[in-house]
Parts: sequence; C-alpha cells; structure tokens
Amino acid sequence: MNYAIALDYQNCIDCQACEAACKEENGVQLGADKQRIWVGMEEGTIFGKPYANTYPAQCSHCIDAPCVDVCPTDASHYVKGGIVKVNPEECILCEECIEACPYGARFIDDNIESVDKCTFCDHRIAKKGTTACQATCPTKVRTFGDLNDPESEIVRLLKTRRFFFQKEEEGTLPKLFFLLPEDEIFARQSVSKQTKIYAWKDIEANYKQASINRSKDWKV
Amino acid sequence: MKVEISRRKFLQGSVALTVLGGTSLSGADVLAKSAEKEKLAGNRTVPTVCEMCVNKCAAIAEVKDGVVKKLDPNPYFPKSRNMLCARGVAGIKALYDPDRLKYPLLRVGKRGDGRYKKVTWNEAYEYIKDKMVTILEEEEDNRSCIGYCAGEGLAEHTFKSFMAQKIGSANFLNHSTICLQTAVSGFALTLGDYGQADLENAKYVIMAGANRAEAIVTPDTMDIFKRTRGRGAELVVVDPRYTKTAMHADTYLPIKPGTDLAFVLAMTYVTLKGQLYNKTFVENNFNDFDAYKNHIISNNYTPEWAEEITGIPADTICKVAHDFMKAAPQAIYYQGRRSTWSSNDFQLRRAMALFTALGGGVDVKGGIIFGKKLPLGDHEINAPLYFNAQPRIDQDQAAIIGSTGSWVAWRDMVAEGNTPYPIRGMFVYKQNPVLSVPDSNKTRKMLEKLDLIVVIDTMPSDTAMMADVILPECTYLEREDPVKSFPGVEPAIVLRQKVIDPMFDTKPVIEIVRGLAKKLTKPLWEITKNYDMDVQAELESAPEEEYFKEWGFDLADAYTHSQEEINKHMFVSAHNDKAWKLLREKGVYYRGMQRSFKKVDANTYEHYPPAGKTYSVLPLVNKADRETTITEFCESCDPCANPADIAPWKRVFKTPSKKIECNLASMTDRGVDAMPTWHDKDYVKVPPGKYKFITGRHAQHTHNATQNNVLLLELLPENYLWINDEEAKKIGITDGDLVEVKSSVGKVQIKAYPTPKIIPETVFYIHGFGSQSSGQSLAHRNGASDNEIIEGVIEPVFGSAIMHDTLVSVRKV
Repeated sequence: MNYAIALDYQNCIDCQACEAACKEENGVQLGADKQRIWVGMEEGTIFGKPYANTYPAQCSHCIDAPCVDVCPTDASHYVKGGIVKVNPEECILCEECIEACPYGARFIDDNIESVDKCTFCDHRIAKKGTTACQATCPTKVRTFGDLNDPESEIVRLLKTRRFFFQKEEEGTLPKLFFLLPEDEIFARQSVSKQTKIYAWKDIEANYKQASINRSKDWKV
Repeated sequence: MKVEISRRKFLQGSVALTVLGGTSLSGADVLAKSAEKEKLAGNRTVPTVCEMCVNKCAAIAEVKDGVVKKLDPNPYFPKSRNMLCARGVAGIKALYDPDRLKYPLLRVGKRGDGRYKKVTWNEAYEYIKDKMVTILEEEEDNRSCIGYCAGEGLAEHTFKSFMAQKIGSANFLNHSTICLQTAVSGFALTLGDYGQADLENAKYVIMAGANRAEAIVTPDTMDIFKRTRGRGAELVVVDPRYTKTAMHADTYLPIKPGTDLAFVLAMTYVTLKGQLYNKTFVENNFNDFDAYKNHIISNNYTPEWAEEITGIPADTICKVAHDFMKAAPQAIYYQGRRSTWSSNDFQLRRAMALFTALGGGVDVKGGIIFGKKLPLGDHEINAPLYFNAQPRIDQDQAAIIGSTGSWVAWRDMVAEGNTPYPIRGMFVYKQNPVLSVPDSNKTRKMLEKLDLIVVIDTMPSDTAMMADVILPECTYLEREDPVKSFPGVEPAIVLRQKVIDPMFDTKPVIEIVRGLAKKLTKPLWEITKNYDMDVQAELESAPEEEYFKEWGFDLADAYTHSQEEINKHMFVSAHNDKAWKLLREKGVYYRGMQRSFKKVDANTYEHYPPAGKTYSVLPLVNKADRETTITEFCESCDPCANPADIAPWKRVFKTPSKKIECNLASMTDRGVDAMPTWHDKDYVKVPPGKYKFITGRHAQHTHNATQNNVLLLELLPENYLWINDEEAKKIGITDGDLVEVKSSVGKVQIKAYPTPKIIPETVFYIHGFGSQSSGQSLAHRNGASDNEIIEGVIEPVFGSAIMHDTLVSVRKV
C-alpha cells in the first residue's frame, strides 16, 4: 500500500471545513498557527481586475521525506502505506524536521510537547474508509487512496487527469497530486509556465520503485 | 406517564452534573462521575441533524464515554450531499462552550449589565407567571400585549405554537423581514413558488449578490462548484465585491449596490427586443406578457441606460442576456436568499423571476424547480380563542404584512410608544434582535420599555443580557426535535435525534414550554374568565372544567407527549413502523432508500435512481404533452428527456391566473407597482466623502450565533472593513488600521482591509461580530456589529429591513 491524496483544487471554496474537521478528528491543539491542513490562497490583480486561486494542502507524505531523514531520535518515521508520522514519546523538539520540510507542514503541539503533522487519519481509514478532510469537504476536493492498487479511486482518477506537484524540485517525491483543471483557461490561470505537468504513465514506475526502495523503513 | 418518569430521571442526572460541572466543561471525567454513567457508557454513533445554520445537514455523531467526539457527514441525506462544513464540524464546540447558559437565571442588575442569579426552573416560571398575571390583568386579557420572536430552527414551531395558539398573541416576529421575505414573495407571487435552483444541471447561472461559496446553502453550494470552470455550468457573478463565489466565475461583473434592478430590466429589454425568449413557453405559460413587453420597451430600459446606472458596460449586458437565453431553459437567474438590499427589492426579485421564465427555465431540469415533498402527519394543537386578543400592531406599516410582521416597523412602534395598545412583554426564542435587526440602539430602547423579557437560548447573547429571565435551552446535540420533510428532486425526511442527555440544568424547548404552560394555565384562565365576554357567555351553560379542556384553555395539553412520541405519531401516520425504524437507524428516510441508496465512490452517493428524480412536477393543461415529448426508451422518465422539449409544456402554476404573473394589477391598490419599474428616486446616491455600507456572510460563522465558538474563531478571528484600496490610499488608511465607521444611527471601530476586491464608494464587513455581551468571553467586543450602523428603514411592500442603503463615513482613529 502506498497512500496518497489527489486534490481537485478547482472545487475549493476556501470554506475551511477540512481544517475544522482535522482538528476535531485528531484533537489537534487549538490556535490558528497549529494546523495539520490548510487552504493556501493566492490573490492579486491582472490589469486591475482581481483574481484568486486556492490550493488546499497538507503534509505530502513524501516517499523520500527529508523530515524522517533528519530526525535524530527516529521520532519521525514511516508507517504502513508510506504515511509519515511523529512519535511524541520520542520527539525532543529539536525542530530539525520543521526546518527540513519544504511545505511547512509541521508545527509544535504544546499539549503533547511534540512536533505534530497530518497522519492521513490512519486511525480511521479501516473504519471509515477515508480521511476526515475528504469526508467532510462540501465540494469534494480530495480523493484519498492507494497508489499501488490500480483499481483504487485515486489511481483511476490519476489515469484520467493531468496533475502537478508543489515544490517537486526538492526531489522528495510528494504524494499530494494537484489535479490540473481540464479547462485550458482555468488551467492557465492557476499554474505558472514553469510548472511541470504530468500524466500517471509518466510517474507510475518511478513512484512505484521509489516506494519499494523506501518501504523497508516502514514500520507496521 | 412514561414521559414523566424519564424526565425525573433526567433531572436527577443533571443535578449531579450541575455540582461537578462548575469547574470544568470539557467532559469526560465530569460525565464519568455522573449518575448517568451507566447509560452513557460505551461508544456509539447517533445519526442526527446539524443546527449550526439553517441547512439541516445530516450528521453522524460519534460518542465515546458519554462525550461527543466527532461529527461526520451522514451520506444518506440527498440534500446535504455527504458533507459537513466548518460550522457543522464545530458543533461540538457549541455543545462544550464554557460560556453557554447552564441554569435558569433571574436578573438582579440593570438591563444589559449582565448581573443575574441562578434560580430553579420553578422560581423562573413563578417569576414569569407573576408578571404575566399582572400584565394581562391590567390589559384585560389582550394576549397580544405580549410580543414574541423566534429564530429559525427545527423547534421554532414548538415555541411559536405555544405563543400563538396557546398564549394567543398575534405579535409574532421571525427572521423573514430581516432575511429573505422579498425574495421568497417576489418569486412566489410571480411563479407560484420560490422554488429551488437545479444547479446540478443548469448550464448558465447568474448569481447576483448571492455568494454560495461563503454563504453555504445545500445542495446549491455543493452542486455548482463541482461544475464551474468549464465543467458544464457557466457562472456569471454580479457583486460589488469579488467574493469567493466570484473566484469561480467565468464572468465577474462589479455592480454598484442598489442597481441590480436596472441590470435585470436591461437584460429583459435585450431579450424582448431581440425576441430571444422561448416563445412557446411564453405563449403557454405567461399571463399579460404583452403588457410586460410594452412596459419594458416603452420605458427604454436599454443596456446603455443600465450602463449609466449599474456601471456594467452595455455590451456586456447584451452578451449575458444572449448567452443566458442560448443556454435556456437550463439557465437560471439565481433566486438567492439574502436580505433586502434596497427599497425596490421586491420588484427586483419579480424581474429576476420573469427573466428566468422568459427562457423557459421553470419547472424543468436545469432551471428553477419545485420538487416533491414526502408527507408527514400533523401534530394537532387545540387552540383556544381569546375575544380580547387584538390584531398585530404593525399591520398597516407596509402594503402586505404577513403573520411574521415587520421587525423594524414593529420595533420602532414599540420604541416610540406609538402602538394602538401597549406592548408589555416579549418572549425571545433563539433570536438575537439586538444584533440582528438594523439600528441596535433602537432595539435596546424598545426592550427597555418592556415590563417582561424572557429569553430562551443556549448562549448569553446581547439580547439575553437584556432579559429579566433567561431560560437555558440545551443545544441541538442534546435533544430530539420535530421530524422534518425536505422537498426537492430527491425528497427525504430527516430526524434530529438526541446524541447525549442535556448537560447542566438545560432543557429542550418543548419541555420549557410544557413547564411554562403548566404554571400559567390556571392563573391565566382566571383572567380570561374575568374579561372574555365570549367565555363568560359560554360558561353560563357549560361546566367550567369541561369547557376549559374542550376548548384548549389547558395550555399544557399540546405538550403532554414527548418529542419522540410526537415524531413517531407524525411519521407513522404517513408511513409505517418499519420505515420509522429505518429513520431512527439511519437518521434519514425516503421511499426505496434501502434499495436505491448506494456508494459510487468515497465522494459520491446515489440516492434515487435516475428515473426516480422529479424535475417537472406541475400539473399539465394537456396531459398528452408528457407522453408525446418523452420517448418510449424510458417509461415517463423526464430526467432522460431533453429539457428544451419539456420546457414549453403548458402548466398549471400556483398563481391566481394559474400562469406566470407579469402584471400584478391588484397590487396597485396598495401603492405597489404592478410590474417591475425603475425609479431614480429610489436609488440612494453616494455623496463625496461618504460610502455605501453593505453587509454579508462568511463560510466560517453563522449570523451572530457562532462568534464565541473557539474552533470557528481560529478560522476567522474577527471581521474587518473592506474598503477599495485606491480610496483607502487617498485617505491614508492602510491594512490593519483601526477606523471608525459612522452612520446616522451609530458608529463602530473596526480594522481596515484595503483591497481591490471591492468597488469604490462602497465599504463592507460581515455580519455577526461586535457582541457587547460580557457573558460571551470570546465574542465580547470582538470586531464590529453591522446593525449598530445600519439604519432602520423598511421597503414598502413587506416592511422588510433595507440593509444596503446606509451611508457611512470612515476615518482613521
């Protein structure tokens, strides 16, 4: 298993239901700067006319996660499905991982005195089938699933859509797939000219091999 | 009898909670020690219905050791599309809000200073009874001298029935005239019903003022934003602000506030002049079309005329009208909900309805649809008649005053002492008029005049702080509420079930009403006997006790059963026991649910089979139309037929002429234009140095009810003033500056947000913040309240509060 999330970000209305559901589901510390999940917003004007784009995001659960590599106590680790987690018992708050993460996906939860981050709701997958953020989303931005299962909802979706990654140049093989709008105009409005666009066949083999290589580190 | 036993048991449990709950609210250990431990132990899930806003989304509550841990969407309810928004998720924080009202309270300080003492329910009821007896004795049993108001909610009718039918007061106020009265009536008087917008199938949608991304409405919000951006629904957003809805638009048209009517009239002009409308539909279904056509053409409502007024270029107006009619009948000028914007609001809604109808997009897939509704039985109330109860005070304040009155007009009359008979008291349920009715100072002044104010609520709102008696209602997660049937393409019935027992000394409103009724019945009956001539005459021949019971003077007789029993009766009388079991198990019921409900994927569920969805529901004049239009491929399945073929059917609309009403000639007697007409004098111009203030909503808070919710506050911590960035620069205002916003009725201080996302001459902040109640520790003095500065002016047709015509000045402080 190799869990990932695809985001049809053009559905997003920035209602922040995902943020609220994440906090309630996972008991995340209250406070606006204590977020496992967030809606990125980019806005400005073009020829005097306003525009805005939303990019909902969370931890990318990178296959080659720098946060895991830098952790001196192995508090940051992979579990089954390639999910990156933190063991609060072992976290010494050195903040190396916070520095290492290209996405700003980590923060300190003062209640548990540990670095905290998204877990893809791995405690509820078996019972409820998906993450709290996907379940609660009004416009159904997210599709969570197993990249290794060709019949999973996420793979079926990735086979039909083109997508891109954020900060892929960091080489961490992130697993948040941003689905490019199918409409050319809207696609152009929400990605830069430099953004590399992929299809599933372009990355399938590479992602598979990388996750096999790395899976020896996955703890059960 | 069963009811009484369980109620006593509940009180026992809540006494334990009362003692232990003083120090901490966050649950587990408090509840674990309570006498209810056995009952609450164990993990379970309870399907229920959200009440964080009006939408009634179905939710599943997860309970662990008696504590509600999580709310997830319940996929069985078609209307809520398997989702729960931020507010819905944060319902748990409303349940466990440390500031919530916990015990009945009696005022010991001055009104508004927040000093109360804790009393028992009996003491609270006694106080109310003594006051009511004095007032009704002095007013000689004129029941209408006690006003009452209610906010929207599943239990609203329980409270309303008590005040209207049992207490017998005519002076009811609810949200209508500070909400969507003009919109609902404008569409209803034109098309026969307000209807729903089929945004799952519409190809072209104009949203003017409506902001479905931030003011979430189910299923509209869910449906439209999966189809914008080249995915089937072209979206035109018309708004002075670049909202999060505008973010999704193909075309965003900034418009000057108060000029929407000119925009619609000009598009109507283009449509009529160019003969772009659906001629068969119009011929079959319009009443007085020629009069309307002549009216529009002869008034020269040209796009060039509208450009001057609205600020939208004439060629854009032409293009939108053409594109709309090309997509019709799957084209909707979205009804919107919203409040009344300016004095021509009723005419605006009429013009919007007629414009959609010109394309044929009514009672058809992808247009405005009416939907089917599943039946429910009644909960009958034996209403006594009071001879001395006077009609409502505000009935002459506008052309058509309905049973929900005109909040602003009513308030003004009481505040100014200008009423045909004295208004002496007020019962407030789940509404917060101090923050929700324009001109808060005047609302406070009105409340000051009353001899008795009773507030039933879950939170110490600004209005609760004015009350003499506060009766704490439990939150929606702690009670069963009346079962509800929702109409639509996929109709369903939902049930709000109690998730956990009420905490502290709180009760559901049905129990509050029952207690009050028992306390008031006999003393008020004595007054009626003294002053009511009808009753006196009847009692000459009828035995008193028998008459008292038979004619409904026993105020408690409607509330002897529990809500659970009433629901079962209402539901089973229209369905059956098996269906009732299913409703309780799933929280949702519709016919064939077990057969047809299925998961398509984690994001999508199918409720009705395609052939079971009903888009066109109005009766047809020629029944054969249906058979000739719908092909033999699928048996009378209108979802499969082309909407363009269905649209022209000759229908029986629910209007007086049975057709779409262009010309409401009878309205002229009441001084109302028979057809939508632009009057320059109605438009409030913005003088130099002033701004027009507009208000609105946000997806993270509901009106003024959630500003103490800790989870929602971190998503949106306060409100701020939108001001055009160029204009802000001119007067030296930068981001985050504290500014004073002042109108003729009040002033507030708020942080500034200079942005290109709002047009010049217009400023905005969202409704709901700026509470002055010291009882809400997080909401208290956070941000600014819009109604502190909005003037209390009404439109002439329904007496609805005009929300967007107040002029303000802005200065840095």
